[in-house]
Amino acid sequence: MRNLLFLAVLIAHTSLLFAQESNMNNTEIAEFKAKINETSKVTSTIQSNFTQYKHLDFLSNDITTQGKMAFKAPNLVKWEYTEPFKYSIIFKDDKLLINDSGSKSNMDLGNSALFKKINQLIVNSVKGNLFQDSDFTMSYFKSPDFYKVIFVPKDEKIKSYIASFILFFDKKQADVMEVKMVEPTNDYTRIVFEDRQINKPLDNEVFSN
Amino acid sequence: MKYFLISLTLLLFGCASFPKKNNLESISGHTPTIINPYFSDLAMDYIYKAKINFADKSFGGIFVIKKMGPEHHRVVFTTEMGNKLFDFSFFKNEFRINFIPSEMNKKILINLLRQDLFVLINENPKILNQYRKMGDSIFIETKLKNNTYFYLTADERLYKILKTKGNKEKSSYIFAEIENDHAKEIKIRHKNIKLTIDLKAI
Repeated sequence: MRNLLFLAVLIAHTSLLFAQESNMNNTEIAEFKAKINETSKVTSTIQSNFTQYKHLDFLSNDITTQGKMAFKAPNLVKWEYTEPFKYSIIFKDDKLLINDSGSKSNMDLGNSALFKKINQLIVNSVKGNLFQDSDFTMSYFKSPDFYKVIFVPKDEKIKSYIASFILFFDKKQADVMEVKMVEPTNDYTRIVFEDRQINKPLDNEVFSN
Repeated sequence: MKYFLISLTLLLFGCASFPKKNNLESISGHTPTIINPYFSDLAMDYIYKAKINFADKSFGGIFVIKKMGPEHHRVVFTTEMGNKLFDFSFFKNEFRINFIPSEMNKKILINLLRQDLFVLINENPKILNQYRKMGDSIFIETKLKNNTYFYLTADERLYKILKTKGNKEKSSYIFAEIENDHAKEIKIRHKNIKLTIDLKAI
């Protein structure tokens, strides 16, 4: 009897796992994209807390850092880490403005096509707006709780750095809930957003170093 | 003959070894089982916030060291946002690059990092001599390739490694804020090379 019960629980769990994620069909993809476009059209600012998990297979625990993210349309993004160290990085035009615990520096990305592309990806993924990009092969999934899109770079050089970008979207608002950057070795960086505030006024000053 | 002796003395004095130049007194006796214990715990993830300056470039990031087995360490440096800047393995005398982006793939930089990181993780260098300095410091002498290293300990605790050539100090590796064999602050400095590494445990 006990074994039977165990089996029943196991089957229930397994079928639950299978039920969690499935492919979207073409109509669903079109609807989903329309929703994303609508959301990003009316989004002028985003402010959110985030927790970042850096997973390296050989470590016992993920490296966890926390902070705040600010976005202002069309292209300003600031990541501010507050725990366990203070560090902020602003994406502005082709520049990165860095404040490493008080020591400030600028980095010009003009010469590095690769870093430029990666930064553009980060900015676009915050907006949830990677779909116009012909540089990726995309696949779409749905679950009761989220939409998931996997972006695989076509460019070999980018691929050697990041094997795929995975974005998780909230089903109601079509907001980005989570970004996962998977490396070719399967190590990854996972950023989970919490307490997201949309269109709350945001001063341009926030984006200067 | 007199002049010959004087010049010989001068020559010897001029080329005095590092211990002689620094008035170190040779001693024999107890040697610690692990000379450098700071990356020796298999169960620990050693995570540091790092600042690396090389020439006029400055890299911030997160520095990870993990002991994988006997004489086997993995060392990874990522940006704060998680992008890997290098990923090295040290196994006995072997060195493997698991990952380095083309922007960082410079032989001179890799060799410098390899040398410095090996000094950090090498637990049991072969002891050639031991010296005592006025005060309490014990200097443990060892050799790696063509350089002589001195491991400076006080109260049987390593606090500095000096890389020397002839009687000159070339580089120093400083361990501070030590708690239970965990060095919370590490600084690497070079006399002739513009590479500095500062690590703070997080």
